Amino acid sequence: MPNTPVMDGLIRRTVQRQLPWSVHVDLTYRCNERCIHCYLDHEDHGEMKTQEIKNVLEQLAQTGTLFLTFSGGEIFLRADLFELLEFARSLHFDISLKTNALLIDSERARKLRELSVRKVQISIYSAEPDVHDAITKVRGSLERTLAAIRFLQAEGLQVKIACPLMKQNLTAYRNVQALAAELGVPYVLDMTITPKMDGDMSLLQLRSSTKELLPILQDASLNPRACSPSSLEGETISMGSATSSGIESQAYEDIPCSAGHNSCYISPYGDVFPCVQMPVATGNLRKQTFEDIWFRSEEMNRVRAVRESQLPICSKCSIRQYCERCPGLAQMEGGDLLGAYERACELAELNARIAGVANPVSAMHAEKSNSKNSRSIPAPTVAPEVRIGSN
Amino acid sequence: MSGEITRNPKLAWREVDGAMVIISPEDSQVHELNEIASLFWKHAEGKTLDQLVERISAEYEVARETARADLEELLAALGEKQLMFVAPEEKG
Repeated sequence: MPNTPVMDGLIRRTVQRQLPWSVHVDLTYRCNERCIHCYLDHEDHGEMKTQEIKNVLEQLAQTGTLFLTFSGGEIFLRADLFELLEFARSLHFDISLKTNALLIDSERARKLRELSVRKVQISIYSAEPDVHDAITKVRGSLERTLAAIRFLQAEGLQVKIACPLMKQNLTAYRNVQALAAELGVPYVLDMTITPKMDGDMSLLQLRSSTKELLPILQDASLNPRACSPSSLEGETISMGSATSSGIESQAYEDIPCSAGHNSCYISPYGDVFPCVQMPVATGNLRKQTFEDIWFRSEEMNRVRAVRESQLPICSKCSIRQYCERCPGLAQMEGGDLLGAYERACELAELNARIAGVANPVSAMHAEKSNSKNSRSIPAPTVAPEVRIGSN
Repeated sequence: MSGEITRNPKLAWREVDGAMVIISPEDSQVHELNEIASLFWKHAEGKTLDQLVERISAEYEVARETARADLEELLAALGEKQLMFVAPEEKG
């Protein structure tokens, strides 16, 4: 979505008025791929039925939601997908889809165009079938996904490629860039690998180290910090989050992000969260109305009350401008919605270094270092526990 | 222009804080209508220009010619951006 003055003004007003104008709904966690980095449990534990989802959509329309993203899991595994899309369009939502596209043929692409779906985001991990298919664990998946992209393009639909980067496909960003150029579609490279929704951290092993990410972060065509601001004008920034609504703006000012302010996430089971990446349960639509949860949930209001300037560690950070701290990941990885977390600090230091800052140190790292130093002052009660030089 | 006025059915829209926000799925263009245009968007659907002229001139006590000129101008602006159209009259 273009970041225009009109959009910035709207974002400010929706935040001020607490209008949930962008909502991400996962219709299912079931999937026909088994991506190695996926954070979901693919079993169906009682998805909302067609009528339940329609009821939710009506509530969202009444509360002011405009941007609706259907995602999953794989949305085309829902037999009622087109019924839901048709219903959503009758309520005048702007609709984006996130899909692996394996089940999109020319007929389905035509239907999506007829329903005026605005954008379809599709994950591609590499332009090399062996690499892509090894991540999805479905042989032939790249070929099928590419065929689907062409069906969608033939209908004139806007397609965007999302490429989550991990150890297994780190060098693929070049060929994904080339593929996107060949197809004439935008792309986003996403370096975020998150823990599983149940808190299992094992997926984090798939993350590339910051050292491994250096060539990507230094690439001026990808990272705005690696080039002069003037050369960025008119360019599409290609690094970001594949899970975001795509409505980015400086208008969020002192709030960490849109989560809970003008956007939220709804699971296939009706659970409402501030964001798909923020495991703060705020209510369930099978028991409460959306308005009840959105406006009156204690947890939603707790998330909403957070201000960047009040973050205990990060607000003091001298390299904050180079950081892309995500409050949801702070909760998942650091256990504190308000806290700093290692990955963000590492990346901020790397980005600052690339931008020319000498010896950048995040506030969290500085605090740890100070605490180590202060603990090294001889004190009989703590001295045996000090491990000088350890990480 | 005596056919019915209709919104472009491809568009997504929602009222945000009193103003109509409209998005085109084809180019992701965002339009925000002012107060008058938002009212027109909400109430003109399915009406003819003649019907709207009658209603506006009665409700706001303005001359028919003035109401017609203003509405035509508004409709032309919305039509130029492909937001609203006057449907061709059905020939009976």
